[in-house]
Amino acid sequence: MEYTDRRTFLKTIAMGGVGAFLMAACGDSSSSSPTASSASSGSTSSAAEMRQLAFQAAWINDAEFIGYFIGIDNGYYSDEGLEIDYLSGGPDVIPESSLLSGRAPIALTTPDTTIKAISEDGAKLKIIGTQFQKNPIGVVSLVESGINSPQDLVGKTLAVPPVNTLSVEAMFRLNDIDPADVNIVPYQFDPTPLIKREIDASLDFTVNVPFSIREAGEEATSFLLYDYGFTTYNDTVVVTEEALNERRDDLVKFLRASRRGWNENFQDLDKYPAMFGSTWFSGTGRSVANETFYNNAAKDLIDHPNGVYTMTEEDIAANLEALASIGINGDRDMFDTTLLEEI
Amino acid sequence: MSGASERILRIRSAIAIAAMLAAWEIVGRFELIANGAFPAPTAILSGLWADSDLYWRHISASVRSASLGFVIGNVIAVLMAVLFVQFPATERLMSGINITLFAMPLIAVVPVLVLAFDGSTPQVVLAAVAVYYPTMSSMLLGLRNVDDRLVDAIRGFGGGSLAILRRVRLRAALPALTIGLRTAAPAAVLGSLLAEFGSGSRWGLGTFLLGSLGAGDPARLWGIGLVATGIAGVGYGVFALVAKVTTRQVASETLATSPVPASGSREEHPVTRFLYALASLIVALGAWQLLLAVIDLNPILTRSPVGVVRFLFTEDGSGEARARLVTALGETLPAVFWGLAAGLVAAFVFAVVLTLLPSVGRSVLPFALISQTMPLVAFTPLIALVFGRGAWTTIVVTISVTFFPSFVTIAQGLAMTPRRAVDVVQIYGGSKLTVLRLVSVPSAVPYLLAAARLAAPRALLGVMVAEWLATGRGLGNLLNESRGRLDFGMIWSVAAVSVVVAIALYRVFVAIDQMVMKRYLGG
Repeated sequence: MEYTDRRTFLKTIAMGGVGAFLMAACGDSSSSSPTASSASSGSTSSAAEMRQLAFQAAWINDAEFIGYFIGIDNGYYSDEGLEIDYLSGGPDVIPESSLLSGRAPIALTTPDTTIKAISEDGAKLKIIGTQFQKNPIGVVSLVESGINSPQDLVGKTLAVPPVNTLSVEAMFRLNDIDPADVNIVPYQFDPTPLIKREIDASLDFTVNVPFSIREAGEEATSFLLYDYGFTTYNDTVVVTEEALNERRDDLVKFLRASRRGWNENFQDLDKYPAMFGSTWFSGTGRSVANETFYNNAAKDLIDHPNGVYTMTEEDIAANLEALASIGINGDRDMFDTTLLEEI
Repeated sequence: MSGASERILRIRSAIAIAAMLAAWEIVGRFELIANGAFPAPTAILSGLWADSDLYWRHISASVRSASLGFVIGNVIAVLMAVLFVQFPATERLMSGINITLFAMPLIAVVPVLVLAFDGSTPQVVLAAVAVYYPTMSSMLLGLRNVDDRLVDAIRGFGGGSLAILRRVRLRAALPALTIGLRTAAPAAVLGSLLAEFGSGSRWGLGTFLLGSLGAGDPARLWGIGLVATGIAGVGYGVFALVAKVTTRQVASETLATSPVPASGSREEHPVTRFLYALASLIVALGAWQLLLAVIDLNPILTRSPVGVVRFLFTEDGSGEARARLVTALGETLPAVFWGLAAGLVAAFVFAVVLTLLPSVGRSVLPFALISQTMPLVAFTPLIALVFGRGAWTTIVVTISVTFFPSFVTIAQGLAMTPRRAVDVVQIYGGSKLTVLRLVSVPSAVPYLLAAARLAAPRALLGVMVAEWLATGRGLGNLLNESRGRLDFGMIWSVAAVSVVVAIALYRVFVAIDQMVMKRYLGG
């Protein structure tokens, strides 16, 4: 990363030189994910050949990113000559900002924010693939409440994270429901209100939260917004135009190795969550059983007959249409499917 | 107080604490509160034991960035205090930055820090930011409060201001500095945890909390909260011990958090004062601009002061942006007001109870101390478990952050009740209550106002954290939502507006304070 030296230098100045040596000490150990570097250090003999590629994920380590962990641990990236600097995400981490700040040339994002950044802010980004063919976000409820489609929500209380309000309202309009007929309240990604029946349903990752509900002794059901007209991808693989021009080869290799990781994962969905319990998933506060549930539930949303990350013309059009319904106007040029063809 | 009665008090306190723990155990075992949201202490401990390996790694990561930030922030704070005392004009020029660092809600800065830095740097920087003000203000007060005769003596022997600094001021400032460090230690832990929570760094208690939030395991949340409090408490305790060695003045208890009045004489010409105020504003805005130049990010990600004004007033969609901001403020400000009022009343009542019934006060004091050191971000989810996701949670969180500093300030006021005034009432046969009504409470009013001044910015931080983590309303939520919508203009605007609001709250109480004091002294 050619810009790193300059940034580090400037930051040192920013600290007024007072804590310069401390900053240097701190920057040292934080520059890369410890697990990633230790995992790949097994093959350091050919380290000179390895090209570093920083990859910004969308959240803290969980089964959502298991394909990449497999790729790193099983050496699929090093087979391609890549050394992955894996950056995990969190509530205040905006993957697009990691791309724009030069921290990572490749990131997992949500298509709505990326297209908004390109169309409204002129960000020079391209979508080169998608991890989730169908966005896993959906309406989760207890089986007893009999909510199996948008129509069943009329007159009910639905908790929605404020960020997703527009998508939910679009889904209602697409299904001829007046959003005013549903009581929408803010939701903070915690299943407790649902379990305590303070709300009837919530909008959340359908591959994750039903597990927590089951742990609490209840049975959950869910449907995807995708299946009711809000047809968006999620965890879109996004790169900077600069990287596309200068490191195209590495990006193709990244996609190839990552697809290999996902295919390996699909061979036995219970294997890797358990294996990573003491490494990648250690200390995240989530259980192996939770990751196993997630991994099993996510497979059908990720896999595609033409291979993981595929973006077909119809699906791209469906994404653009769904996003246009919430006022985000993108076009076909924001997607580049040619790298997938080279895998 | 004699040794015997001191011992009786200690025994009583121990009994009271044991009784509370027993009650907690029963409440937890039988899930008496909020369907088991209040797990038994033994359940929390067994959870801690089971996960002890993980805890050690998280703890060491948090302690590492908190201590690094603690050292960096304090070194800068001490140097700045020395600069201010040697060149008083610099303090007035920097006052805009100082008050910003005092009042700024830390939560509003995390998204900006995460944009600018990677790895564990956001944690270290936030911890450093959190410790700067308490240390700088204590140190400055210590450097200023010197024996004039010593200064004169040095001058008499031909020593300049450097000699005075070296031989008098630095030595005199040591006790005040340790008291500042005592307050700064828990602040560093909070700063580190908040940034861990936001940046999702691989290790750290803040990250552990983030991953555990959706898991529906109250014992885990309590475990993290208690461990975080323990770390902050150890930091506080270490420097409290050091402070005890360096100072025997209990009266300086509140030094650490009291904003230092700007130097400059009262008779100064209003134009000069205005020019200084203007210059300090320009310096603060200039620092913002300089920071942007230094972190050198893609302009899509950042907003300069002018950029924020444009975003809110002249750009396309500025009307809508303003409306959202005003709506959020309309939700946040009443919560700040009620939470602050409740926290002050609670502190006042508690301080009064303490003067009337010292043993009761003593037994509750450890819990009050916990509320001071517990990292806000780790306890808000617990409060939400018990009180739900409505206004109550916001109020309780706000009380918990405002109560202790207010209590210390007010209790000090009550303790300094003039002895002769008390005697007068007692000679005329007045009871303890009459003394309280006629003497103690009126003489504590100025301290109540001082407490309000200190607590107001903390109340804003408390409300914003509760909004972000629990209620999904107001400025805290708008910040979170803007991040999710990739609305960089709004992220910077919320950060800027929350700083302005915090400073305004502080200024309002300073103004009220001055008005009341004028009446007291002038009447």
